[in-house]
Parts: sequence; C-alpha cells; structure tokens
Amino acid sequence: MKNKNVWSIKLSTASLVLIPAAVGVNYIGKLFAQVLKLPLWLDSIGTVLASMLAGPIIGALAGLINNIIYGFMDPVSFVYGITGVAIGVAAGLMARLGFLKSWGKATVMAFTVVVTATVVSTPINIIFWEGQTGNVWGDVLYAAVLNATKTVWLASFLDELIVDLPDKILTVLISYAIYRGLPKNLLQLYFTGSEIEELK
Amino acid sequence: MKPLTLYVDKKSFIHAVDPITKLFYLAFAVLTPVFAPIAYASLICALLSLFLLFWAKVLGNALPAFLFVCFVLLTVIVIQGLFGVSNKTEMFRLSGLIFYQEGLLTGVRVILRVVNIVAAFLVLTLTARTSDLAEDLVRAGLSPRIGYVITSVFQIIPQMISSADTIMDAQRSRGMETEGGLIVRMKAFIPLIGPVVLDSFMGTKERALALEARAFSASNKKTFLRERPVSPYASPIRWTFAALMLAALIWRVAA
Repeated sequence: MKNKNVWSIKLSTASLVLIPAAVGVNYIGKLFAQVLKLPLWLDSIGTVLASMLAGPIIGALAGLINNIIYGFMDPVSFVYGITGVAIGVAAGLMARLGFLKSWGKATVMAFTVVVTATVVSTPINIIFWEGQTGNVWGDVLYAAVLNATKTVWLASFLDELIVDLPDKILTVLISYAIYRGLPKNLLQLYFTGSEIEELK
Repeated sequence: MKPLTLYVDKKSFIHAVDPITKLFYLAFAVLTPVFAPIAYASLICALLSLFLLFWAKVLGNALPAFLFVCFVLLTVIVIQGLFGVSNKTEMFRLSGLIFYQEGLLTGVRVILRVVNIVAAFLVLTLTARTSDLAEDLVRAGLSPRIGYVITSVFQIIPQMISSADTIMDAQRSRGMETEGGLIVRMKAFIPLIGPVVLDSFMGTKERALALEARAFSASNKKTFLRERPVSPYASPIRWTFAALMLAALIWRVAA
C-alpha cells in the first residue's frame, strides 16, 4: 500500500478531481469550526487528506489552488498560498514515507507539518505584516518577545508557532482519523500504483 | 447564500478589460513598490488601484475587505510604535505608554504596503469573473486540466455547503450536541466533517469516470465554446505594465 517513489507525479484524472474536493473540505472544515465556535481554523483538512491519498504534488496543488480560490473572497489569502503548498508537500512526503501506519507516526507527521508551516509563514508575516499574525494571543506574545529580545524573526516565529501549533496538530490528527475510516476501494484508487485509474 | 467570489457584475471600462491584462496590472502594482527605491511608491500604486476601483464603480464593495485588514493594521501600528526594533525618538506618551517615531513610521509603511496589495488584488477580484480568468489562462497556455480544477471548485463548494447543512441537521436529530463546553463542541467536529469528506471523496471516483467518458485526458488541442475577442489595446497595455516594472527594477539596481 505504499508508492515506491515518494515524488511520483500521478496527475491522473482521479488525483486531479481530488483537488476540488479537498478545497471544498477545507472550506467546510472552516465553516464547521465557526459554527461550533472552536478557537481554531481547521481549514486545511482537505489539503492534508489529499496529500495523504495522492502524495506531495497533488497536496501542493490542492494547497495552492485552495489559497487562490480563498483569495477571491479575501485578498490576503493569496499571499499565504506558499504556506498551503508547504503543508501539502510536507504531509504528502510524510505519507509516502510511511507515516500513516499508526497514531504515533501520524503525530510525528503532525509536528513536521506544524514546523514546516511555521517556517514558511514567518518570512511572509515579516514581509507583509512586519511579523505579526493578526491573532490576538500570538500578537501579545509577539509584542512581549519583541520587547524583550528586539529580534523580529524570533518574535514572529514564536507568534506563528503558538497560533499554528494547536490548529495544525489537530488538523493532521483529525485528517488521520478520517483517513483511517476511508473505504478501501477509495484508497486503492490512489495507492496501488497500478493502472486502475487510467481509464483511457 | 453568500457568494464565493467578490465579483460585482457592473458595466464599466475596467470590467471590460480582459483578466490577463488585470493580472499584469496586479503584478505591476504589487512588485513595483518592492523594486522602486522610493518610500512613497506603495502610496502611488495604492491610490492608482483605488482610482481603478472607483472607475469600476466598486469602491463601496471593496470596503469590507479593507475593514477586515484594518483591525490587524491597527495592532501593527500600536505594537511597532511601542516595541519596534529601531525605536529611539520618543514621540508621545499615552497613559504611561511611550510611542516612538521610528516604530510608528514602520507601522505606516506596513499599512501602505498592505493597503496597496489588497487594493491591487481587489481590482482583479471585484471586476473579473473567475470563469473568464480560468478560461483566458487556459487560452494563454495553462493546462486545461488545471483550468478545469479551478472552475470546478466554484461549482463544488456550493454543493458541499448544502450537503453540510443536511449533515448538521441529521447529526443533531440523532442527538449530537453542538453547543456547550469546548470539549463537547470539539467532539462534534468529527461526526460533522467525516460524512462531508466521505461524500465528496467518494464522489471523485464518479466524477473521474464521467470526465474520462468525455475525453478529459485526450491529448488533442482543446477548442473553446465561446470566442472572446481580445482588444487590440490589451497587448500594449500589458507591455507598458511590464516595462514600468522593469524600469523600477533597473532604478533599484542603479540607485
């Protein structure tokens, strides 16, 4: 159940149609988080799931297209497209490297995704917002660290990390819980590496 | 239902301009202030974008997007004013807090930068239909497969929102609690998102079959249902934006 090549680019039709579904799941995840008034965004579950199923390239595309689409509702989102790509690549690579076998491994995957997302978002925050994230708790920490150390990148990194940590960890773990429940005939579409999805 | 895009259907010169030219404008408005070695380049570009929004009669529709970033920008100016790295010169005191000139200036620069970028994107998103943009990008050489992915998102999301409503009602009728403590609300998340994922991911299989039955993967050159005449002015306008951007870059290197 594991592809040999982690970077295999299978832009099969089955993988491509996964992208709109992933973007939709991202959107609905965010919607439910708002309806339930959760203090999280949970808006990249679709990206992570697409990466788990179809690998880093489709994951990256799902992340990128997701932010482009969101950008048509909220222009700031365009800028964070690179973060979407990074989340897709990190989750997809870890999935292909076999980190979907157990909850323990999935947790390692979750932390990898958090660190990747934070490392990529921090420069964007610095270029765009002088390091802030717009999240109240994160920005309070930002102000405190900036005042204490006078280093923007450290303050900004911690600001982003504290905001991303609970959100992205839960995103990956929720995605993993759902992934485990996906029916086998769906998983086969993406994992066998055989010609099943080639319909021509 | 809330529309998925900010597009406002109006008749104006800006609306009539093709989406690719707007992309050139976007690149110009965002990158020129980055390249140009003068501080007020952002201001000029932002004013230009605001003028274009006014010309397209959509300035009022742009307001919510600006209000959205306004709050963050307010905290930026306060935090930079109080704790900015280069703070030296005291400007004023407010109930014991000292605001510094350098930090406040940094804050103003951030505001100009963000307003400029948001305004430039709004020129595109408020006046260009996403379907037209995707179609023109495919004409310009984007893979039709990716073009399909982009347009289909806008069809899928409204469907998924309505199925999300159904799932919410169904789970509530089975006694799932969606109100209460944080843990209760957290627990409700998986039974809500799970069916949405299953529904949409299982649907991908059928969608792939349906697409293949219509020769989606055929390698032949695709043709278009609609012909969209491109204005003879489009090309010179695009090159003007590209040239201005290049000029700013050369200015930066030379200066």
